[in-house]
Amino acid sequence: MSSSMALRDLQRDLESKANDLAKIQKDIAKDHQLRKKYTIQLGENELVLKELDLLEEEANVYKLIGPVLVKQDLAEANANVRKRIEYISAELKRVDASIQDNEGQQNSKREAMMKLQQRLQSIQAGKAKA
Amino acid sequence: MASSSSSSARGELEKMGIDQLKALKEQADLEVNLLQDSLNNIRTANARLESAAGALNDLSLRPQGKKMLVPLTASLYVPGTLDEAGKVLVDIGTGYFIEKTMEDGKDYCQRKINLLKSNYEQLFEVLAKKKSVADEAGMVLQSKVRQLQAATTS
Repeated sequence: MSSSMALRDLQRDLESKANDLAKIQKDIAKDHQLRKKYTIQLGENELVLKELDLLEEEANVYKLIGPVLVKQDLAEANANVRKRIEYISAELKRVDASIQDNEGQQNSKREAMMKLQQRLQSIQAGKAKA
Repeated sequence: MASSSSSSARGELEKMGIDQLKALKEQADLEVNLLQDSLNNIRTANARLESAAGALNDLSLRPQGKKMLVPLTASLYVPGTLDEAGKVLVDIGTGYFIEKTMEDGKDYCQRKINLLKSNYEQLFEVLAKKKSVADEAGMVLQSKVRQLQAATTS
């Protein structure tokens, strides 16, 4: 009787672990999407910065805000883009760390699940014999 | 694949199990598709820049005060006169626009086109490599499956 109880416990444990794993995998996929987005934005901003660096001091720079173009200082635009690149780089680093962390968790969860499955199988095999 | 010669890569492939090969092939196919998409994107961007460069060239040939029809939508045009073609506004991305002279504007288009071209060539090389990996994995996989089938039927 106790063996069937243990079996049920194990199965429940396995199920919860599987749910955790699915959640982690979803997080990883989300982070990958974010990473892609940030990488694209970083590339675009770097292109803009390169263009701004090529400009002469007195060049006219405009920023599109909604439907209107607003004139902006070159120095200000430069500082803005630089700040944005900094921010995006920091975000990229954060997402990378999060991906690494989640992947580690995913592997340990997988191992735990494998062990549980083995135990489950051995118990079932013992039951079949009995 | 880091291995330089294809024969050693093939040897490595031969050593893999069927499941491993299948996974490798799927991964390689996925990457090939992704690269193909990127190449297509570059091609459309290149076409847009080419048309922009063509428009600039056209504009620079017209004299000031020239009458023209300006497209408001794809099918609605309004009459206008060309005020000044010496200065153009260039969208450099992320909402920033820069006023440039006609010459600089043309130069900008040309630079971007060159940049895209070199990116395209780089990507194309990577794509060719990935494709050969995918093809090779597919071939080895097929021969392995055939061997397995022959072994089970005999």
